[in-house]
Formats: sequence, structure tokens, C-alpha cells
Amino acid sequence: MRRRAGIGAIQKQKLEQEKFKDKGTELHVREFEVLSKQLEQFRQKLEEFAAQHRAEIKRNPVFRRQFQEMCAAIGVDPLASNKGFWSVLNLGDFYYELSVQIVEVCLATSEKNGGLISLDELRTRLLRSRGRVAQEVTIEDILTASKKLGVFGSGFQVLQVPGGRTLIRSVPGELSVDVTSVLSVAPVGGGQVNQELLAQELGWTADRASAALDAVLADGLAWIDTQASPTQYWFPSLFIGCMDC
Amino acid sequence: MTFDDWPWQYSFPPFFTVQPNLQTRKAQLSAWCDLVLKYHKANNLYVLDVREAQGSPLFCNADINRKLSLEGIAEVMSELHRRANAEPLDKGKTRWHVLWHTIDEWASILYSWADETGQTGSVCTFYEITNASDQEFSGIDQDVLLKALRKLEQAKKVEIIHMDDAKGVKFF
Repeated sequence: MRRRAGIGAIQKQKLEQEKFKDKGTELHVREFEVLSKQLEQFRQKLEEFAAQHRAEIKRNPVFRRQFQEMCAAIGVDPLASNKGFWSVLNLGDFYYELSVQIVEVCLATSEKNGGLISLDELRTRLLRSRGRVAQEVTIEDILTASKKLGVFGSGFQVLQVPGGRTLIRSVPGELSVDVTSVLSVAPVGGGQVNQELLAQELGWTADRASAALDAVLADGLAWIDTQASPTQYWFPSLFIGCMDC
Repeated sequence: MTFDDWPWQYSFPPFFTVQPNLQTRKAQLSAWCDLVLKYHKANNLYVLDVREAQGSPLFCNADINRKLSLEGIAEVMSELHRRANAEPLDKGKTRWHVLWHTIDEWASILYSWADETGQTGSVCTFYEITNASDQEFSGIDQDVLLKALRKLEQAKKVEIIHMDDAKGVKFF
């Protein structure tokens, strides 16, 4: 005989549900405890690691990069905070210092290159101004520090130019797409561009090319040479002689 | 003419075209001024003739086949004039005194020399001054020397004396 569901059964079901819920909460709490314990441990280990290898991280650029990569893989940014347990590292300071020096170099050279500098020249100048006793600085370090400067808005930008060149721009205002394209062609022309080269490399019409060339002149990024035929537009930031002085 | 201290701009082709962008032109003129002064100092040259200068290696880089136009040279010279590092010798501004030391600077260099070497109170001929050995003003142009001494004369520090065939100066 089948019994129909009575009030007792409903109450029993309710009780069961409550017990399940209790158990669930209990498990949740335990899981949370375990997790936070793990996190605490991880934090401790990382801290220990950082403290133990601090000198090495600051001194050895290869090790520093590997450490950065590891941090990036687990989703933490040792530069993001100068407080908390990362302060053991003082790694933030290293990059802040570097950023300030980068800005100094960019300002000092902006008169001759219009605020556009190649990464190689920037590194050479940085090493010179930091002196011999300072830690080694790699291209990666400069890029990391430069990217941090991006938070100040559009005044600072890392530009990748085809052909493995990287330029750092330190003048306010975004570079237009066309100006960036012109810059990408300049290494092909040995540091200069002209209408013909732009037509050949980018398929631009004479009007578009001359508008872009006027723009690079107006921005002070390029110098005009009317004694060449066709007229050439030279970038001091990509001119070899300009980098060594 | 020997000079091997060329700045990087000298091999940068657009350096020889007057730049239309004002900011860029300022940097360009400033580099030209430095170069002109350095070049004249290294070669102990005091006079620049704009027409002759156009063919001089100073304004003409044969290696890259570029030369600065007459207008360009005129602009560089008027910038030097503005800085008191050049003075025109004629109305057409074709001949210039190039002063890597301004007249005032020459005046004070000459006066301290006289003071340090105990010439005050006595008379020196211009010949003695221009032929003094190992001085910054050794071989100085007679007219530049006269300009500098006139400055000192205005300040009552010297008296220029005209002798029969030469000039002399008395330092006080």
C-alpha cells in the first residue's frame, strides 16, 4: 500500500535539507580555512624567497626578469604596491628610480629629437648617467619602467616600429596612425622618408603622404632636407650620429 | 684649415636646410652658432665674409653634398649678432667679426692679463699684445683688439695712444 505524503514526511524532508545546508556551510568554512592557510603559507614562502634573493633580484637582470615572469604567471604585480609584503623587495623603488631617470633623459634630449628617442639610445644614456656602480639595466627593465609611465596619460608611449626598433615618445598628445606609419617606414629609408618611399611602402597617394609629412615636421619629430630630390624628411631619433653624442 | 670637432649635425643632411618649424629652427640655429664659433676659434679666424663662407667647409659638407644657402648663413650670423658673438663690418652685412669671446669678454681678458703681468701704468704696443705668447688673444685681429680696448677706454681703464706708425695702450 502506498502511503501518501503526510505532514511527517514534509517535516523530515525539511530537516534533511537543513542538515545538508549545515553540512554545506561547514564544508565551506573548512575549505575557506584551508585556502586562507595555503595562501598564508604561499605568501610566507614568497616573502621568504623574495627576502632571500633580494640582492640577487636587484643585481641580476636575468633573474629579475624570471622573477617578474613568475609573478606575472600567478597574477601579482610586485610593482603595483610599494606597501605590504612586497616592500621587502624594494623592487618598486628600482623601477620608480629608473622611470624618473628615463623622464630626465627624454627631457634632456627632446630639443634635438623632438621627444622621440630610440630604445638603444635611451639605454646608452641611462647607463652613462647612472654611472658604473649602479645595477645593470636591461632593455626589459626600461620597457617595464616606461610602461609604468603610461599611467600619466598620453604623454608617454612605447612605440614598436617594424624591423625590431622600439621608440619611446615623451611629447604630449597621441601620434596619429599615419604618423606612426611614417615612423615605421623611416628605418627602411635609413632614418629618412619621402613621398616616393611612402607610396612604395604604404601605397599612399601624394596627398596623404604630404599631409603626414607636414604633420611630422609640425610636431618637430623630423627635419626637412630640400636639397635632396625628392625632398627628404629626417628623424634625428633614428639618425646614428645623433645617438652617440 | 684644420678642424675635426664636427658635431653630429654636420653629417645630418637637413642641417643644411633652414627648418620651417620654429622650435626645430631654434635648435638648428643654436647648433650652427656653436659650430661657427668653435670653427673660428680652432682656426684663429676673426673675420667672416658671407660670400666666401658659402664655399668654406664650415657651411659646405662635400661628403654628403650639402651646403647652407646664403640666406641660411645670413640667418646664422644675425643670430650670432643677437648673442653679441658677431658684429657686422658693413651695411650690407656681408663681412662680419666673429667673436667667440664677446667684445666685453675680450676686454676683461685683456685687462686681467695686464693686471696679472704687472703692465698697469705702462704702455704696450698693439704688436706686443697680439704677439704675446700662449695667451687667448695671441694673434688677435687688430680691429677686434681695438674694439675691446675702446670698451676699456670708455670705462676709463686704459688710454689708447696713437704713435707714428703704430698704436699703443696704457693700462691704469
